Amino acid sequence: MWAILSGVEGNLTAYQAVLADLKRLHSRLKAVYILGDLVGPRPESEALVELVRAGTAGLPQAAVCLGWWEEHCLSLHGLGGNGDPEALIRQHGADTVQTLWKSVPLATAQWLRSLDLGFYERDCMLIHGSTLGVHDCLHPETPAFELLDRLVRADAHRLFCGRSGLIFELVVESARVATTITTLDGPQPVTTLDFVPRQVVGVGNVGRLDGQASYILYDPSTDRVEFKSLTYGTSRGCGRPGKSDL
Amino acid sequence: MKFAVLSCIHGNLAALEAVLADAQAQKADRIYCLGDLVGYGPYPNEVVERIRTLEIQTCRGCWDDDTVEGVNACECSYPSVLAEQRGLAAHLWSNREVSDQARAFLAGLPYSLREGNLCFVHGSPYSAHEYLLPETDAFVAVERVLSTGADVLFCGHTHVPYVRTLDATPVEITVRGPASASGEVRQFSASLKRIVNAGSVGEPRHGRPNATYVLYDTERVEVDLREVEYDWRSTCAAIVEKGLPAIFAWRLARGLEFAERAEDPTHVCTR
Repeated sequence: MWAILSGVEGNLTAYQAVLADLKRLHSRLKAVYILGDLVGPRPESEALVELVRAGTAGLPQAAVCLGWWEEHCLSLHGLGGNGDPEALIRQHGADTVQTLWKSVPLATAQWLRSLDLGFYERDCMLIHGSTLGVHDCLHPETPAFELLDRLVRADAHRLFCGRSGLIFELVVESARVATTITTLDGPQPVTTLDFVPRQVVGVGNVGRLDGQASYILYDPSTDRVEFKSLTYGTSRGCGRPGKSDL
Repeated sequence: MKFAVLSCIHGNLAALEAVLADAQAQKADRIYCLGDLVGYGPYPNEVVERIRTLEIQTCRGCWDDDTVEGVNACECSYPSVLAEQRGLAAHLWSNREVSDQARAFLAGLPYSLREGNLCFVHGSPYSAHEYLLPETDAFVAVERVLSTGADVLFCGHTHVPYVRTLDATPVEITVRGPASASGEVRQFSASLKRIVNAGSVGEPRHGRPNATYVLYDTERVEVDLREVEYDWRSTCAAIVEKGLPAIFAWRLARGLEFAERAEDPTHVCTR
């Protein structure tokens, strides 16, 4: 069983709530993936990174990849990154830029720079947006051929992504394209390409909304996706999950 | 209406003049150009001036982009170190040679043009540097056309002309979420789409030195791939005389790319 989460966004309490939920599955859990946006414009980002890097007793060490907020951190610190500062200000305001700068110091940003864009495991790609970039937002209303394009680019049967913050599973059941090519030498025979059924899975968001977190569990042996939504208390001493919606 | 669509002139004035004459003889009503006016060839300013004075609607190619913005791609954009060295040498030459007026014209070019259900780009709708090859995955190809909202996508960049018709059956997708565990089935359909690659006027790679371009008849919905003979030897001589790498004259004379091709043509360096 894999636990796949994304979008903690520096919300330490939310992450601790998910960890508590995962501990109940610990014997079945073989891997934990965090598909980007581990940090965000929250002061606890630094403590959160320390917690993730230190690991949690009884749980597999989390594998973390780059997300939208990480790319912006790298840009702010002059460490590369493809963050678009104008998009950041437009979407979150200039104050957020300052908060992000204060929340993620240079040393942490240097660790973020070491993260991969995504992971390949078996026939699955796990990534924040898509291979197009961390900004690419796949969701249940994404046009069908855009999904096909992302799956072909990823060269994977299952694409797990977190950019939308939603939990969903899209199964492309069937698709076919007949194509004819004409060159200077004349027309070539018609060829058809069939699309083998593949999935795009949204893994939810842990930290954006205080008190609510979502993530998914995936069993590679049965190819089953389980959506997990949980609510938790946010006041002091109430950091444990209040209700788990299985 | 009959449109002539040209691409990848690459500073080859003799080839451009031959194609313009052929388009006129074929009674083309309008001409579109898919960019790459400069690079590789010996007459970048003259080509820009010809396109400008004829008021040919033109979109920006990758070489035009690099001439305006400066080369900003790492070695991953080249199939070999040798190709990278040659490309950079040609870029440095063009950068010295291109006039301020020509550069200003290139800077004003849009990345795409629209005319009814037709869309014109240099490489792909996403990037002037992306290659849409005949062997590009058919689903990816359909998506590129759909992303423009057009039925016919004209592109260049590969230097080899082709027409690709894409007939997709409806796509069936099952959507599952917390509120619909059993899944909701949705169907998406796309009408017949086409990709028309205009080849290259000034640096062909189809195995012969002749210039290539396309004619498109909007009423008959027909494409005519054109191959035009011209005095390519004069361009080869000018390449050598003007101090460009001689390899560009060698490959122009043969209409070859030198058998070098990036492993992943859809890869675009975003450094």
